[in-house]
Amino acid sequence: MSETTFTVPVGPQHPALKEPENLMISVDGERVVDVKIRLGYVHRGGEKAFEARNYTQGLYLVERICGICAMAHQLCYANNIEALLGVTVPRRADYIRTIIAELERIHSHLLWVGVAGHEIGWDTLFMYTWRDREVVLDLMELATGNRVTHATNAIGGVRRDLTPEMISQISKGMRHLEERVKYYASMIPKERTIMKRAVGVGILKPQDAVALCAVGPTLRASGIKRDVRRDDPYSAYDEIPFEVVTHDGCDVAARVMVRVGELFESIKIANYALEHLPSGPVRVRVPINVPAGENVSLVEAPRGEDIHYCKSNGTDKPERYKVRAPTLANWASVATMLKGGYVADIPIALAAIDPCMSCTDRMTFTDVSSNKMWHWTIEDLRRHSAKWHGK
Amino acid sequence: MVETKREEEIAESLKTKLENNLLDVRVQRRRRVFATVTPASLREAVGFVKDRFGMRHVSTVTGVDAGKEIAVYYHLMGKSEGDASEITLSLRANTPKTEPKLPTITHLIPGASFYEREVHDMFGVVFEGYPDLSPLVLPEGWPANVYPLRKECTVDYIKSEIGKTQGDSR
Repeated sequence: MSETTFTVPVGPQHPALKEPENLMISVDGERVVDVKIRLGYVHRGGEKAFEARNYTQGLYLVERICGICAMAHQLCYANNIEALLGVTVPRRADYIRTIIAELERIHSHLLWVGVAGHEIGWDTLFMYTWRDREVVLDLMELATGNRVTHATNAIGGVRRDLTPEMISQISKGMRHLEERVKYYASMIPKERTIMKRAVGVGILKPQDAVALCAVGPTLRASGIKRDVRRDDPYSAYDEIPFEVVTHDGCDVAARVMVRVGELFESIKIANYALEHLPSGPVRVRVPINVPAGENVSLVEAPRGEDIHYCKSNGTDKPERYKVRAPTLANWASVATMLKGGYVADIPIALAAIDPCMSCTDRMTFTDVSSNKMWHWTIEDLRRHSAKWHGK
Repeated sequence: MVETKREEEIAESLKTKLENNLLDVRVQRRRRVFATVTPASLREAVGFVKDRFGMRHVSTVTGVDAGKEIAVYYHLMGKSEGDASEITLSLRANTPKTEPKLPTITHLIPGASFYEREVHDMFGVVFEGYPDLSPLVLPEGWPANVYPLRKECTVDYIKSEIGKTQGDSR
């Protein structure tokens, strides 16, 4: 550390979103020189808890890893246990899972566009997208019985079938949301409020994204075409046509555009699945005990690749259950994105990976000149950001 | 019959490349291969599949308590030019629980960094050559040599150890 850097701790409360982690940020004036990440503030020992619960209880524990991508985690878990059991899920259940997974992506991406607007001090956008998000949350409630933590899956299929009324309601909702997303897609690239704060901010070069094993929209906004739905298809994705959206911008603006593009694709996938929904049962009964074995299951969650590993031992409880949520995969990239950037751009660059701390897990500033240290919450940081950019 | 030609090819080339250092290899199902290698050949194996099969992505590193040993799995993913889908290779290396250590693979795939630190926190595996194995997820003041995901480490044991370091009987 040279004599001109300064360490500023940001977090653990509110580093960007209302969730805890700590970043020790070394700054030289307004420039970020180094970032050290500390996680674990919301570590709940979930992996240990799986070992003490049977597979059915695990199904409900797993969706509590994350309130936003409950479906992604639960689907990954169900696929995992079904593979160990050697069970093939009815095709109708695969389609219903795909529909709910895409509804979840729409809700998550709309939520994120709103949060991104909030981080740059433009709360109107936040209110717009969150109003639209209500539409999809209501559809979730209609289809599953709950707005969040849907408990859609059972091991061997889905818990609830879609009725013709539900299908027509979801289709109607998709038509409405498609119009809204068209509006965002045409407005955002022309809107200076966003572009001034997003273009050229939080750069992640393609070679760095690959080397640091970034996932999801963060990776695809660096021009890398990787998506579990295409590269390791599960549920009904092998039969449904869709595009993997990428962008060459490598900055926050590119991450916005990738997510907006993915909203269109999700609507397309949901519509296709609704129109081609096969008839038949939605669930098969499965035994309580799972034969000894091991399996790796992958799902494209809204934030990127979600991987679960399960080792079974022939009983009704797993020997080992491992979860790696997408946010953890993107933390290494965050450090690279922040380095060389301005302190005022930390909130938006951090928010751009759409971090989910509960899935994974503060920021400290150090001034290299006086070795002084101080802590900032995101509110302090956001205020500094708005003031600095307002000059 | 599900086509597993590419998976078999990975298994065969690992056999040829690693010879006696490959302890076990099996194609579990479509797009899933499991292999066990000696700790000494771990880096060679990772470097090989990275160059030969485009496995540049490490999805995560999983630690498993296997009794007297800690099994560490490197879930590597990738595809060769022209392939439509990716294959996940779970490369396993075992290390004794009494003194668990493995070479770091972060110089080959920097993205493995957080995952190795997590396994270090949870299982006490030392990744040789890794510059900073300070706690990533365990809190400050966590008692030494308590590795939460090892089987012998029960919740009561963790509570008593934390009690000792904090000088109370929680």
